[in-house]
Parts: sequence; C-alpha cells; structure tokens
Amino acid sequence: MKVKNYRTFWILLGITAVSIPGINYMLYNLMDNSFPKNHGKSILGTPFGFPDIWQTASWNAGMLFLIPAILIITLTTNEFTYKTHRQNIIDGWSRQQFIGVKLIEILILSVFTTLILVLTALAFGYLGNKVPEGISVWSESRFVFFYFVQMLSYSLIAFVLSILIKRAGLAMGLFFIYLIAEQITVGVLRNVQHLTAVDYLPEEVTDRLIPQPYAKGIIQQTNVADWEHHIPIYLMVAAVYILAYCLLTGRYFLKNDL
Amino acid sequence: MNSILSIRSLTKFYGRIRALHQVSFEVPAGSVFGVLGPNGSGKTTLLGVVMDVLRANEGTYSWFGEPPSGKQRQKIGCLLETPNFYHYLSGERNLRIVAAIKGHGPEDIDRVLEMVKLSDRRHSLFSTYSLGMKQRLAIASCLLGDPSVLVFDEPTNGLDPVGIAETREMIRHLAREGKTILLASHLLDEVEKVCTHVAILQKGQLLMAGDVNEVLASEDFIELGVDPAGRDALRSALSGLPGVKQVRDHEQHIQVFFGNGVMNLTEVNRYCFEKGVTLNHLQLCKRSLESKFMELTQEKKPVGKKN
Repeated sequence: MKVKNYRTFWILLGITAVSIPGINYMLYNLMDNSFPKNHGKSILGTPFGFPDIWQTASWNAGMLFLIPAILIITLTTNEFTYKTHRQNIIDGWSRQQFIGVKLIEILILSVFTTLILVLTALAFGYLGNKVPEGISVWSESRFVFFYFVQMLSYSLIAFVLSILIKRAGLAMGLFFIYLIAEQITVGVLRNVQHLTAVDYLPEEVTDRLIPQPYAKGIIQQTNVADWEHHIPIYLMVAAVYILAYCLLTGRYFLKNDL
Repeated sequence: MNSILSIRSLTKFYGRIRALHQVSFEVPAGSVFGVLGPNGSGKTTLLGVVMDVLRANEGTYSWFGEPPSGKQRQKIGCLLETPNFYHYLSGERNLRIVAAIKGHGPEDIDRVLEMVKLSDRRHSLFSTYSLGMKQRLAIASCLLGDPSVLVFDEPTNGLDPVGIAETREMIRHLAREGKTILLASHLLDEVEKVCTHVAILQKGQLLMAGDVNEVLASEDFIELGVDPAGRDALRSALSGLPGVKQVRDHEQHIQVFFGNGVMNLTEVNRYCFEKGVTLNHLQLCKRSLESKFMELTQEKKPVGKKN
C-alpha cells in the first residue's frame, strides 16, 4: 500500500526491469560489431548463446546494482524523512514487524530482478543462437543463483547505509563511494601486495561468484578449477555477510530511539 | 479504579541530558489525564517512551495491565509531536495504511474524515495540506477504529480558534463516551476545561500528579475587601482567625489561604464584623491551574503527589 501509488517507485522499478535486457542488448551489439569473426563466428566465442548466456547475462546485470540500490535507499530513507517509521510503530506495528517488512521488500526485489535476468538470458539464448547439441538450456544456469546472492548482498549493503545514515543523498553517495573504494582496495592489495584475503571483502566475495565472461574464446582460463573449488567458500562467506547485514539492521532498529 | 497506563520510575537520558527522572503515575480508566510542563520538561519524551518510539534507560510501564506490545498500540490512537504521513499519498490513502496496521478495513475512514472536516480534501496529496489540515488528519488517524484510549500531544497545534474549540469539544465528547484520554499540552486554560487528572513535569521530574480538583482544592482562597482606612484593622483581625495559613495583600484586596482547605464565608464575615471590621468585598476564589502551574514551576521543588 505504501508504494502502490508512489510514482518514483514505479519509475525506478521500471528502469531496473528495462536495464537488465537493455545492457545485455548493448553489449551484445558491441561484442558482435567490435570483434573480428572467423568463418562467421566471433573470436570471443558465443557468450550470448547457451550455455554461456547465463554467465554473460548475470555478469552484465551485475554492473547495474546502483539502480535497485537507489530504489531501496529511496524507499527506506523516505520513512525517516517523513517520520513514518515512528508512526507505523505508534499505530501498532512492532519494531520487528517494521524491519522484517523492509527485509522482505529487499528479498522480493532481488527475486524480481533475478526473474528478469532469467527471461533476458532465455531470450538472448534462443533468439540469437541455436542450442548446441547435447547441451541443456539450463546448463550453467547456476549463475542465476549467484546473481541472486550478489543482488541480495548489494541491496542489503544499501539498506544498512540507509538505516544508519537516514538521508537519501548521503546514503547514495556513500554507497557509490564504497563500491569504488572496495574495488580500489582489492586492486591494490591483491595485484600489488598479492594479498588474497581481499577476495572475501563484502562486495568482492559476491563478484567472484561470476567471473568476466568475454575472454573465454581468446584466453584459456587456467584458473577455472581454482574458481570452482572456491565457490562453496564464496557462498558461505556471502551468506555470513547477508546474515550480518540483517542482524545489524535488526538490532540497530530494535534497540535505538526512533 | 483500574489503571489504563501505569508508569513506574521512568528515566530517560539523551546523552548526558536527563529528560525524565524517576517519573511514576497511574492513568485511571475513563479519565482525561493532562500532562503539563514547560518546553523541555519531558512531556513528549514521556509519551514517546510509552508508545515505544523511545527507549527508557530505567523504569517500566504497562498498558491495560500487560507488558507493552504492538497489539496494545493497535487499540490506542496516538498523535505524537507532529503529523507523520507519506507526503506522496492522499489523506485517504494514508488513513488506509493506518487502518491496515491497526487491523481494520477502510470502512471507518469516512466517519473520521467527517469528524475533522477533511472529507472535501480526502483525495488531495498530504504534501498539499496546510498545517491545520495535517493536524486534523492526524487527529482523524487517532480516531480510526474507535479506540478506547487516545493519546494527544499538543492536539491543537496549528489550529485556528475555531479548530481549537472544536478539538476541545471533541475531547469532551470522547470523554463522555468513556474513553481514556492522555493529553499533553501547554494550553493550561484548555487543559483545565477538559482534564479530570493532571501530572505536572518540570525538567524531567514529576512535581505533582492526581485529580485536578484535589491538586487545586488546597489552593482555593477567600478574597476580602475593606475601605482603605480599615485595612490595617482587617489584617490585625485576620491574624487571630483560626485555620489561616497565609494572608496576602493583592492590589485592592486581601487574600486569605486556609490550611485545612475548608472555608466558610459566613463565619469569616461574622468574625470580621465582631472584630469591628466591615467588609465591602467577600469572595471565594478557585485557584486556576495556570497560577498553580506557574507557582510550582517557579518554585522548582516537588510539592507532592496526590493520587
């Protein structure tokens, strides 16, 4: 009821929904037109065909987390701006109910974007390419689950910032700065200092679930086995972070003055 | 009498600032209970604690004899500090959300909007409302579902004189229906007209709490008037009158306060006449809540608690 008549919500949700197929289309065109072909086939291989489309679409969509993050930050900080978080409690919600509903909203948004991703991947996979013989359409679709985990993680980081900061502009700015800061930190510490522990930073650990898909046709991926070996660890660490975000926001909201 | 709200030793700090200190009182069922105090006395903090918006550092409270919960607050209509609604929604849509949280359908919305005279603007966005309209929407929100308990924090804020009078009459009407009303206000004259009980706060401390008539009864006084030539004789006569607690000169009259709270005008008149003093003015005066409040808050010491 809070968002049904909120135009900003529908605009941002629409942008989120359109951006996933949109960015895939853009990159499809870019890859198709920018790289040389050998007997009609791109030297990049078939990143937009089955089974690679699952990884490709997930990785592409992962560049757009800022858009759903803006939506989450807007919806959450609105409550503090209008002080409706107080009024909801006064009117009869418990603090647990209020924070629980917010977390469910994030879960629903993550499921929604994941469904958009599935439809996008199926569309690109079927429309552009034949399904290779002996390969199931759903082969490598585990990347969709990895995307869901990544989406949930990024959304909860935005949510934590919203709860702690309570101001939309500041929360968005800090979210953006954090994304960049962690990337820089990873770049410096991993590549310069050769410190691999940075693989387990909050943003990086979910990014590692979906490696960059475009180099498969050119560069032999010698680290595939290493990556496969680390998947359960990445998922476990991501789950710990997700649980920590939920507990942090829950505890903060339950214990403090509103 | 059953207590709707019991507050025991509530203490609240904002950092180093003590907003409430060991505040305790009971709100009887069916009463109109006024919480009075100057700015910064802790009224809104107190209401915020009992509505679970703020966390007390010490002390406890209970609604309806049970530990606090969201279910209880669904049975309470509360206007705390400012009207808090979604600016991008209309008045009616905001009330739908409130009704849903309270576990009601939208069927009562028409009635409450009519009560606060906002029916014509029900579909306008909250952001387009004037301050008075916002306040009236907040009052309407409190009335949704016909709750048995109402909590109002400065309900007449932003209202014009007509709105203030209508709000006062509405509170009286609700009290006649047997509802319990907890009312925080600066407007002592308004409080005195509607409240059956009061609690007076200053700097987070409870100065006095109890039945408003008991709080004020001991402060009634008799006002005596006499020709200027006989003033000294009157003062001298009063010094021997039994039961007199205090004698004060006040402009053209002399005010006499009695310690036992019982004043007999006929006896005072006879006594003065027997002492050779002829009065030209004799009147029993009820102490106003405002003057009592000013005395208490300027003395800065707890006078006592009457329950």
